Amino acid sequence: MKFVRPESPEAAASSLGNGSVALAGGTDLVPMLRDGLVQADELVFLRDVVPRGVQSGRIGAGTTLAELEVDPELPQALREACAASASPQLRSMGTIGGNLLQATRCWYWRLRFPCYLHGGDRCHARQGTHREHAIFGNDRCASAHPSDPAAALLALGARLQTTRRELPVADLYRLPTEENRNLTALERDELILELDVPTPDASVYLKAMDRRAWSFALVGVAAARFGAETRLALAGVAPVPWLLENPSALEQSTPLPGTAYKVEIARALVRRALASLPTT
Amino acid sequence: MSAPPARKLQLGRVGETVQRVDAIPKVTGEFAFSSDLFAAGMLWGHTVRSPHAHARIVSIDISQAVPMPGVQAVLTHEDVPGAKHYGLEFPDQPVLAIDRVRYFGEPVALVAAEHPEQARRAASRIAVEYEPLEPIVDAERALAQEELHPNRPTSGHGYREDPRPNVVRTMVVRHGDPDAEGDVSVSGVYELGIQDQAFLGPESGLAIPDGEGGIDIYVATQWLHVDRDQVAPCLDLEPERVRIHLAGVGGAFGGREDLSMQIHGAMLALRTNRPVKIVYNRQESFVGHIHRHPARIWAEHRADRDGKLKCVRMRILLDGGAYASSSTAVTSNAASFACGPYAVENALLESTCVYTNNPPCGAMRGFGAVQTCFAGEAQMDKLAAALGVDPVELRLRNALAPGDTLPTGQKLTGSLPVAEVIRRCAAIPVPEPDGLPRDAIRLPGGSGNVTRGEGVRRGVGFAVGFKNIGYSEGFDDYTAARVRLFTDRSGGLVAEVHCAAAEVGQGVSNVLVQVARTELDIVDDVLLAPHTTATVDSAGSASASRMTWMSSGAVRLACAAVREELDRRGGSLDPGEEIDIERIYRHPRTTPLDPETGQVTGERAHVAFACAAMRVVAEVDTELGLVRVAWIGTAQDVGKALNPQAVHGQIEGGTAQGVGLALMEEIQTEDGLITNASFTDYLIPTALDMPRVVAELVEDAEPDAPYGVKGVGEPPTVVSTAAVVAALRAATGRELARVPVRPEHLAGL
Ligand SMILES: Cc1cc2nc3c(=O)[nH]c(=O)nc-3n(C[C@H](O)[C@H](O)[C@H](O)COP(=O)(O)OP(=O)(O)OC[C@H]3O[C@@H](n4cnc5c(N)ncnc54)[C@H](O)[C@@H]3O)c2cc1C
Ligand code: SF4
Repeated sequence: MKFVRPESPEAAASSLGNGSVALAGGTDLVPMLRDGLVQADELVFLRDVVPRGVQSGRIGAGTTLAELEVDPELPQALREACAASASPQLRSMGTIGGNLLQATRCWYWRLRFPCYLHGGDRCHARQGTHREHAIFGNDRCASAHPSDPAAALLALGARLQTTRRELPVADLYRLPTEENRNLTALERDELILELDVPTPDASVYLKAMDRRAWSFALVGVAAARFGAETRLALAGVAPVPWLLENPSALEQSTPLPGTAYKVEIARALVRRALASLPTT
Repeated sequence: MSAPPARKLQLGRVGETVQRVDAIPKVTGEFAFSSDLFAAGMLWGHTVRSPHAHARIVSIDISQAVPMPGVQAVLTHEDVPGAKHYGLEFPDQPVLAIDRVRYFGEPVALVAAEHPEQARRAASRIAVEYEPLEPIVDAERALAQEELHPNRPTSGHGYREDPRPNVVRTMVVRHGDPDAEGDVSVSGVYELGIQDQAFLGPESGLAIPDGEGGIDIYVATQWLHVDRDQVAPCLDLEPERVRIHLAGVGGAFGGREDLSMQIHGAMLALRTNRPVKIVYNRQESFVGHIHRHPARIWAEHRADRDGKLKCVRMRILLDGGAYASSSTAVTSNAASFACGPYAVENALLESTCVYTNNPPCGAMRGFGAVQTCFAGEAQMDKLAAALGVDPVELRLRNALAPGDTLPTGQKLTGSLPVAEVIRRCAAIPVPEPDGLPRDAIRLPGGSGNVTRGEGVRRGVGFAVGFKNIGYSEGFDDYTAARVRLFTDRSGGLVAEVHCAAAEVGQGVSNVLVQVARTELDIVDDVLLAPHTTATVDSAGSASASRMTWMSSGAVRLACAAVREELDRRGGSLDPGEEIDIERIYRHPRTTPLDPETGQVTGERAHVAFACAAMRVVAEVDTELGLVRVAWIGTAQDVGKALNPQAVHGQIEGGTAQGVGLALMEEIQTEDGLITNASFTDYLIPTALDMPRVVAELVEDAEPDAPYGVKGVGEPPTVVSTAAVVAALRAATGRELARVPVRPEHLAGL
């Protein structure tokens, strides 16, 4: 395997695909290489080409979660979501760009069961064990999106700058279809460079987990208030970060037998998130 | 006779808190664990494992692997020099699979190469053709399915005959009149998932050929001599030519009683005539050792109006997985201690362990008593509720006391201060609830920041547990210690202690030295020699809460003999002169339980017992199903605390393991495949999940034990799962008959 350090974002982006894979902090990618979930002949190291740091609401995609969680300039929901992610060691290595693009934790997928998301014809989790899985958007793949910061960025209405375009974070994600099983809309040779995060009047992130620290969200709820409007977004409830139109949209969820409890958790968390946002 | 010389070593005697010798090096990172070993010219071994839980092996083709870069050896079952099977108690497990694999991760072939990556690559070129067979994964159905071990390796060992397929052992304890009725009866069905020892140091070791056909194996293990006695026949070597040396152990908890890399590393080293190191990765470690038996338990407790237990009936079904390991003893323990530390005149306790294609199970801290304590204590709470009696009072009314008879018919002749332990625990003041609102980190949900107190209810639970100390049912258990006395350069008297007692992090190294410092008050220094099979006889296993008792007994005997010999020589040694004496210590003899009735066939089947009581305060966010264990108070029967700080450490660590089983720890399987073999997916408690533990040590000397000591490692694990879940029940009113209890079992109240 080759390790390359390109000198410009364009050079990095154009070298991707065909066995070349982008490497940021490596906290998600390296275990997947080890487990054979990603095949690569070449690792394209992003450290020198993807911006890092925060400047007036713009976040370099190479900024680590550890840097974001302590930046007083950033909205509270994003800082809290970063602080609640993974462990201190992982947050020191893991970048926000990599976090948005981390792969599903569904263990059928991680153990390479030939499931829908791997191109197969059925979702093993739907018929099998699925307590960690989805309550929305789960008819084909029932995985639950693991990113806490993604939910926060979605509630905040963040926009992404890539090597090709600018797009709302909502458009980074897609549900899989018969033809295309990807969960993100990023092209193979496209890099996330920066994030533009609007400043809300108030925001918060709450995360329910199986353990009191260092575990993935069963349900994470981000709420952000801009004037009279409050946006809600959820982690751990759908194959992608999930924008909740309003609290009652939870009644339209489609839980599996083993995920019905997540609806209960989401209801309470949404209520608490809204209640905790200061109104003035 | 002259007056005895003044004691030279003032500190570090038995009963004093002594800082663990390994404490600072472990904290600073200087301690060498078995995975840190290195030898010049060493090769790296890698194990090829079965991806199936049950399959026939059609063929194994190594031809593509042999010519790979760096490869020095590729071995299969055909290369096993001696016996092809081994096992802790029954040789039912192939060294390398022959024609069938019976569990996910079973070793099939070995590679040694210059670099670990080369070994892994070559391993991936070994072509094993499998014909998958239907896995047996349900313990109940296993009793009617095809035999996994048609030769029935555990039958003919004096156990009860049970003709049903796949039975590892059935134990029935029939005591008094099992049909005796009470005024009230409560019943329940309970279940426990598979718990992993989750030690942080993976299985690892280094095998070094001695150049004369023998082998030295440096490995993290719990019982050096029993490793040797399993390794030697498979290598076709006399036991003396296999020397096992203890390497730095990163946790054990029963999971290192069985072999892991020992035979494999030695085979590769002997074949290549080079040192070979094997280190399992985390995923591999989950299949590299046995686990705690998952269990299903049907229980009925009958009592009279005053709350006196009249009859306990329990059926226990344990899933032993693919190989026997120590399942037969776990089966018997589960039945023997099913009633808890209570006096019961009538009982019918039936415990069965079966072979399946699930991950193999064996020894883990608590050894059968954890499972039945969880069920039994839930039953005691149900009974208290049915009678309207305070749960602590109900337990006091039934507490076992010396002179009472156990369901096995064994009379309690030693110490077992159940009532005192209950009273002392109950008397520890429970802290007032922390006020609200408070920081989220001190509420259920912890760092997830989910509440300031909304939805939170508090519950207090109480449980009592007990189990035996030491090996039982006629097992000829002993510990050897050897003490060398000599003068150093400055003329000081030095005692060097040899004992193969495995230091697994429990602090036995300190105990060995403390005993010598206590017994040999004439010496200027005490040294501890490496733990090895090379210089001293067996110490037995660092398990069954036995090692402190047994090894302190042996060191004390050896010291007394050295002392006597020194006196005989006039009380001093000349330069170059030495005394070197080895002694063997045995605890009081036990005899088997009758296979039909489960009753003692002699004075005792179990050596001694220890108990613990625990009160847990938990807060549950009943909307989210999240838990904070807020406080734990416990009183434990320790006999005599040889190193009080280490005893507190054992209580805290053992409690954490029980908290883990109560709330989060479970190996998940799908058709026998482990699906959460990582610390990302198999969660163990963090420091944030463990509250402060207030522990009272109840020192009631065990008459038959050196210094009156008892083992302390297991009782906290036995009792804590039951106590935590009792607190959750109190907070939620739910039955919670299965552990681990997860948010989905508590949410939405
Ligand atoms: C044990 C564990 C627990 C975790 N817990 C949590 C949690 O609770 N909450 C949570 O939100 N996350 C959690 N994570 C995920 C963690 O936050 C991510 O792994 C991390 O943020 C990824 O960042 P990275 O820089 O290491 O990405 P890498 O591993 O380097 O890359 C991940 C993916 O993103 C791609 N990539 C990276 N940067 C870019 C870019 N700029 N443009 C295009 N593609 C890019 C890579 O090619 C790769 O496909 C956990 C991870 C682990 C291992
Ligand atoms: S949830 Fe998605 S990733 Fe998991 S098994 Fe189903 S299709 Fe595959």
